[in-house]
Amino acid sequence: MFGYVEPDKPELKIREYDVFRGYYCSLCKTLGRRYGQFSRLTLNYDLAFLYVLLDSLSSLPIRGKIQRCIVHPLKKRFILFSNNFAEYASDMNIILMYYNLEDKWNDERNVMGGSGTLALKRAFKKAKKRHPEKCASIENHLTRLSDLEKQGCDSVDEVAEEFAAIMRDIFECESIEDENDRKALGWMGYNLGRWIYILDAYEDIEKDVKNNSYNPLVSQYGFKGDNIKDFKESIREKVNFALTYSLSEVEKAYSLLAIEKNKGILDNILYSGLIVRTDKVLQERGIKDEKESL
Amino acid sequence: MKKNPYKVLGIKEGASYDEIKRAYRELAKKYHPDRYQNNPLADLAEEKMREINEAYEELMKNAGNYQYRADYEESYNNSNASQGTYKQQYQQQQSGSYSYNTQYQYQYENESDLENKVRMYINNGNIAEAQRILDKMKNRNAAWYYLQGLVFLRRGWYDRGYSSIQRAVNMDPANFEYRNALNNLNQQSTGYRHNNYYRNSYNSSPDMCNLCVNLWCLDTFCECLGGDLISCC
Repeated sequence: MFGYVEPDKPELKIREYDVFRGYYCSLCKTLGRRYGQFSRLTLNYDLAFLYVLLDSLSSLPIRGKIQRCIVHPLKKRFILFSNNFAEYASDMNIILMYYNLEDKWNDERNVMGGSGTLALKRAFKKAKKRHPEKCASIENHLTRLSDLEKQGCDSVDEVAEEFAAIMRDIFECESIEDENDRKALGWMGYNLGRWIYILDAYEDIEKDVKNNSYNPLVSQYGFKGDNIKDFKESIREKVNFALTYSLSEVEKAYSLLAIEKNKGILDNILYSGLIVRTDKVLQERGIKDEKESL
Repeated sequence: MKKNPYKVLGIKEGASYDEIKRAYRELAKKYHPDRYQNNPLADLAEEKMREINEAYEELMKNAGNYQYRADYEESYNNSNASQGTYKQQYQQQQSGSYSYNTQYQYQYENESDLENKVRMYINNGNIAEAQRILDKMKNRNAAWYYLQGLVFLRRGWYDRGYSSIQRAVNMDPANFEYRNALNNLNQQSTGYRHNNYYRNSYNSSPDMCNLCVNLWCLDTFCECLGGDLISCC
């Protein structure tokens, strides 16, 4: 479900790419320092994006050092110094990934989910202690989400709402002092969450039909059990609208934020990366091949 | 503290008239109230728009050039025109609904009163109340679907919002407001896809196919005018 928000790499400048990776590595190191080495495996692009976004709202200069890390032992890389936004993003990473793994374990008895939950237990407790209210609110939405999924809710909007609300909680970072910025961030997170949820649902249609598990799009548009390709084709336009409109709202919120730096990277993600990602899923271009050709 | 007008418009100090004008146009388009209809951030966009207008006004005032000043006033009025009508509508709705407030029991009110009430709540951002009244309304006509669509959109339920408004248009194809709303939705999403960043990166690089077509066209035109660019065809 995670890792959809990523830059459109071929369009990034090399400098921008280095800075983005610097943020990513910095978040990874922060995770390791605060929550132990295992937690670094759970790092995903969505939270790296959040880190870049939050940090870009402050006008402090980007500072870092070219250094080595265990994940890439051969080459030295530019890694940013950790700050409070990196810490916030790392907390949120742990919280989201823990709930995600727990959900996998509860729903499908997924072995990875089970062992991951155990391994992250301590880290999660620590993160929860740091953000008790956020966790309470997220748990609330997750309970409602799983209830809706159990009932086989046939409105994709209604189910996506709960996931989107979780992302709103995550994006509304308390350390952002400007109230307007926080409001815009919340709306951005909400719509991004909506986009992630629907995109994920569309991508998983085949898998869910095969495993006979719940999929909001299958419920809403009533898949009759005939050709699955035709079904996906028939709903593509509708799904495309819901996805693109959500993204247009993300962009509207973004343009209201007082961005002080990293405009190139953020514009790349907001105006290109997200569209490319949407089209990859909608047009079912082989994501693996795509990566190789880049 | 007053902000630096150059910074607000995102241009260098001492930028030329054309640069200022271009930057202003671009930003005015970006924060235009039409784009933030039905959006919880509409007030932030409005504030931004005001900031931009002030910055532009100040720069133009300092310039003291009447030609540019006139240009500015024209575009300023254009950009505020829709906002103006919007406010007018809003006030009408507010004053209209004022008298209904004394009636507490919905069953005595007729449907169009309720509709106005729903519109007022939508404009105020009180979505829960708007939804409550919509649920009570018995007559599910085109107007009902339209308003329900607006409420859905405001909540972020775009899929249902789109279907509701589509339904309103189907029920009453002659209604300009409904059609306008539907067009606006389509425009927002295609508009986002056709943003400058994406267009510049994916459509601007010349490819072989384009080159050949251009040559062929050029050749055809030359032949039309009696000359010839590529003699073999």
